[in-house]
Amino acid sequence: MILTNEIPKEAYRNIWILAEMNGEAISPVTHELLGAARGLAEARGADVVAVVLGSGFESTVEDLAAYGADSVIYADDKRLAAYNDELEANLLTRLIKAYRPEVFLGAATARGRALIPRLAVKTVSGLTADCTELTIDAETGELHQTRPAFGGNLMATIKTPNHRPQMATVRPRVMKALDPDYTRSLQSIVREEILPEETENIKRILETVREHQGAVNLGDAQIIVSGGRAMKGPEGFKMLQALADKLGAAVGASRPCIDAGWMPYAHQIGQTGQTVQTKLYIACGISGQIQHLVGMQGCDTIIAIDKNPNTPLMQMADVAVCGDVFEIVPELTKLL
Amino acid sequence: MQGQAGKRTFEVEIIPPKHASDKIPADLQLFADKYKRVMDSGFTVCITDNAMGLLAFQGHECIEYLGLPVKPEQLSIHLNTFHSKADLVKLLDDCNAMGVRNFLIISGDGSDRLPKLQPHEVEAEGTASVTSVELLAWIKKHYPQFKLGVAFNPYEPPEDEFEKMERKIAAGASFIVTQPIIEKNAIVDELLEKYPDVPVIIEAWMSKKLHLLSDAVGYTIPEDTPFDPLTTLEQLLEIYPQCGFYLSILGFKTQYGRVEELAGITKGGDAQ
Amino acid sequence: MRIVVCIKQVPATDDAKIDPVTKRIVREGMKAVLNPFDLYAVEEGVRLKEEFGGTVVAVTMGPPSAEKALRECLSLGCDEAYLLSDRAYGGSDTWATSYALAKGIAKIGDADLVICGKQAVDGDTAQVGPGIAAHLDWQQCTYVSKVLSFDCNELVAERMNEAGSDRVALTLPAVLTVVKDINQPRVPSLRSVLASLEAEIPVWKPADIGADVDKIGLNPSPTRVVKTAPPPPRSGETLHISGDAAQAAAALAAKLTQLGFTEGK
Repeated sequence: MILTNEIPKEAYRNIWILAEMNGEAISPVTHELLGAARGLAEARGADVVAVVLGSGFESTVEDLAAYGADSVIYADDKRLAAYNDELEANLLTRLIKAYRPEVFLGAATARGRALIPRLAVKTVSGLTADCTELTIDAETGELHQTRPAFGGNLMATIKTPNHRPQMATVRPRVMKALDPDYTRSLQSIVREEILPEETENIKRILETVREHQGAVNLGDAQIIVSGGRAMKGPEGFKMLQALADKLGAAVGASRPCIDAGWMPYAHQIGQTGQTVQTKLYIACGISGQIQHLVGMQGCDTIIAIDKNPNTPLMQMADVAVCGDVFEIVPELTKLL
Repeated sequence: MQGQAGKRTFEVEIIPPKHASDKIPADLQLFADKYKRVMDSGFTVCITDNAMGLLAFQGHECIEYLGLPVKPEQLSIHLNTFHSKADLVKLLDDCNAMGVRNFLIISGDGSDRLPKLQPHEVEAEGTASVTSVELLAWIKKHYPQFKLGVAFNPYEPPEDEFEKMERKIAAGASFIVTQPIIEKNAIVDELLEKYPDVPVIIEAWMSKKLHLLSDAVGYTIPEDTPFDPLTTLEQLLEIYPQCGFYLSILGFKTQYGRVEELAGITKGGDAQ
Repeated sequence: MRIVVCIKQVPATDDAKIDPVTKRIVREGMKAVLNPFDLYAVEEGVRLKEEFGGTVVAVTMGPPSAEKALRECLSLGCDEAYLLSDRAYGGSDTWATSYALAKGIAKIGDADLVICGKQAVDGDTAQVGPGIAAHLDWQQCTYVSKVLSFDCNELVAERMNEAGSDRVALTLPAVLTVVKDINQPRVPSLRSVLASLEAEIPVWKPADIGADVDKIGLNPSPTRVVKTAPPPPRSGETLHISGDAAQAAAALAAKLTQLGFTEGK
């Protein structure tokens, strides 16, 4: 059942990325993975290989080249249209055994965070989740993977000394995509098929529901637009929701807004609510008592909008916008 | 909630054991000792409800498990909005059966661990979250025999707090407990003026640690404020002769005797 | 029906203190608690038991003190609990941890379903659940928000993803990881907590579960933490924007574009 890792490290080469699909389209995080892989491949004098599993996507191959892929390995099969952990892990295990990539990168999405751990166990590989920085030793090919742990309060650097491939997942919007170069062409395109034994003992997908709802789960959101007492009431939060919709953000609130009955408790950020660690946090009319700061100080970029420039939040923000939220937020929403 | 006639009486806060404690049996014993002592003094026992969002056992289940006496006039149980509907109903029914009559209804501190009542569960409309107002109105409707109090926070913007107090009184609140104050407070004075007919109980902070008070009220009280809890209590008793007093974080070993003296209880009087 | 719930004891974040200088959480002196996401796994296991019958077994790998987290599971309705604890397990990464737990589950025996929380809040990797499924070669379903049906052979669940949700049918035995949306964990009563304090919790060493010592602990683990450091400090530079609302909004929109937040949406 489990492979033993007896093949010498030197037998592994090239940097693979697993393309993230959004239906038949390739999602933007794939381009970010290609950008990260390009840097690693150049350091190692190796190629970037994009692996695409899905159904009906052939036209996107030029994009993969333009964003940095040297080769593409793909399987185009309607059984891959909906994401099936066991089937994909079975197929990828075979490809990894056959082609031996040195590094395997995937997106830290619901799919990647389910599939790649399964794959790492099956291939006896080391896996590091949610990396924010990846560097490679040009000589040894050892990948240094830096990731936040403990809710962002610690950065851990992790390596995989003896096992190959070295697997890592990266959250969307963390790595930079390269500017696309449509003069680049692919060295090879290889089509793979699902083998019959790879469909044994796999789940059945009964139905796929696509609903474009804003991220209500604060813990999973990448951007949060949050309001405080100065929002004056539930109407103020409707205004924030409009901005959040434009940004693909979730809406948060400070405790007084929940205590006043303006927002459900699930939206409360702070010591007695949720702790969030997003790429962007836009605080609207929140003064920033310590109980609130505890819940959001791990966010990467903090923007505060407030009439009072001297609040704790305005002082700690990366961007402090001094003015009336009821004027600035609608203007900003229009512009986005 | 009347003590001995003509004398000052106190409401003494007791915190039940926390779920996370490593010594629950010992904590229960301590709870029982404090409970009995406060009852014996003729004071009112006030039991918190998952204070600071930290999961603790419910007052009534501790009383029941420990077989403690229930004197309805000397017992007040805090109840906040972080309960499942089923637990809320069971709690109220159990309390009712045990003879508990007084409750302090507060919005309370949440945590991931605590369920939050949903508006439809307390028949509330026009609010996104259940606050003390909706909870109080619902209990008043279904348990009219209970006497329900509410909290007042003089550290919040007064306009908001007084507006909310209007709604609390309209919902049926019949007594008010303030957040701790450590000196004469203009906002509390305003409260007393506005509600001359509603008993106001002032919370006195009995810990020397002012940073804990800052945490409790969500307002930073400078650490270098000169403060001695018992002296402050004596001053507050003089400033607010018409009010009851609620003592939080009372030191049973170091402070209790003096508090009994202030209530006119002589040392020998509480021996039996 | 036998359900195994895999849990982890983690440092508590809810009594977090903030360092006044670095504005970061101080880890020292934090209490250990049951991983918050695991509460939902325990609750779901107990609810399924209450509906369909059977037993719920809690298992964890950790230091002897992790027994406390298992007692909490018992207070919440689990029937039995087992602790994988031994020096040999120490330093295991997610690969080795999921191997040891898979061996523990095999030792418990006859499991129809394994339930894990979606991730542990200290590591945040979300790797152990799928790892267990892979070691056992069972089907898996992650980010489960609802169990729609459950019988001896098949479980139908709803799982969440960025674009919506899927309804999937798993052949049992299988592994689920569950999200918070799935239920509301109960608050245990005083009596059930006191009863859990009396329960016996067997401790299993590697030999007890037939774990290969070459696959557990620090050395066999594929990954190695080579450095930990505080996160880079905030730049400390604040960009101030003021002016009338239109100007301020335009400047802010430009900044959002510069930071890359206005693309792809």
